[in-house]
Amino acid sequence: MPQIRKKKIREAEIPTASQADLAFLLLLFFLVSTTIDVDTGIGLTLPEYVPPEEQVKVEVSKERIANLLINEAGDILLDNEVVGLQQVLPKIKPRIVEKIELPANKKLIVSVKTDANTSYNRYIQVLDQVKEAYFEVREEYAQSKWGKRVIDLNEEQMNEIKEKIPIIISIAEPEVVKK
Amino acid sequence: MKFQKKLARAKQGIPTTSMPDIVFMLLLFFMVTTTLREHDVKVVFNLPEAKAIEKIENKRVISYIWVGKDGRIQIDDNIVKIDQIQKIMYAKRTDLPSIIVSLRIDKNTKMGLVTDIQQELRKAYCLRINYSSLQKAG
Repeated sequence: MPQIRKKKIREAEIPTASQADLAFLLLLFFLVSTTIDVDTGIGLTLPEYVPPEEQVKVEVSKERIANLLINEAGDILLDNEVVGLQQVLPKIKPRIVEKIELPANKKLIVSVKTDANTSYNRYIQVLDQVKEAYFEVREEYAQSKWGKRVIDLNEEQMNEIKEKIPIIISIAEPEVVKK
Repeated sequence: MKFQKKLARAKQGIPTTSMPDIVFMLLLFFMVTTTLREHDVKVVFNLPEAKAIEKIENKRVISYIWVGKDGRIQIDDNIVKIDQIQKIMYAKRTDLPSIIVSLRIDKNTKMGLVTDIQQELRKAYCLRINYSSLQKAG
């Protein structure tokens, strides 16, 4: 009588040795096709567009405005006075500080106006100085009031600082120059 | 007397069974933290440098406008003319009201062009802009 052999049951298995390689391939694909770089830059909010015929002129006292003009050669004029790039910050900063406690309609407005041939780089440099002045004032305010840095403030404190020291930068309306 | 080399009994080798899991974790991390590269930049530009810059936290609301050295303007994957900007950007804003326009402009561009673009953006009601710039060292 032939012996009935017990059939050996083969274990069914999916080979997993190459799974790591597959996963690495996928990983590589994602590394190549995606971006991590954070977008950094100077933020600004433009005013709404109003057609020239509907524009209303609002008188703003000279005390409130810091006029920055940048000409073709990159010279800077701050309230009719020629200043260097490094002087913009120290000149604007005290004017922001003295207006911290004033109501919202008396805060400083920085108006930036450029010539059509001014280089963009120069404009950014000046805007950077103005922004830095504002950031320094905010930093000092937060430090003296709460003993914290601006980034560590909670939402309520952040709102207060935004209300006390709003960043108002006005980009002057382009003018049509008659030739 | 002959010395026989003793073979170690214990199996040598790093267990690799959990390696796929680890790699998948890495993969997931990358998928979550990054965004897909969406555009092919066709213009050549050098960004200006600035100190007081901010980060834009939410990348998904950003729309880019590139301006190259030669003054060509690119939106999405197309080179556009200045009078087309308003229409394109207005459509974008209707889709995404909280849009931030990131201006990646070459540093030697003339302000005249920048102002023109800004005027177009104002007409399209894309009011939140961001002058893309690099962190200045020091």
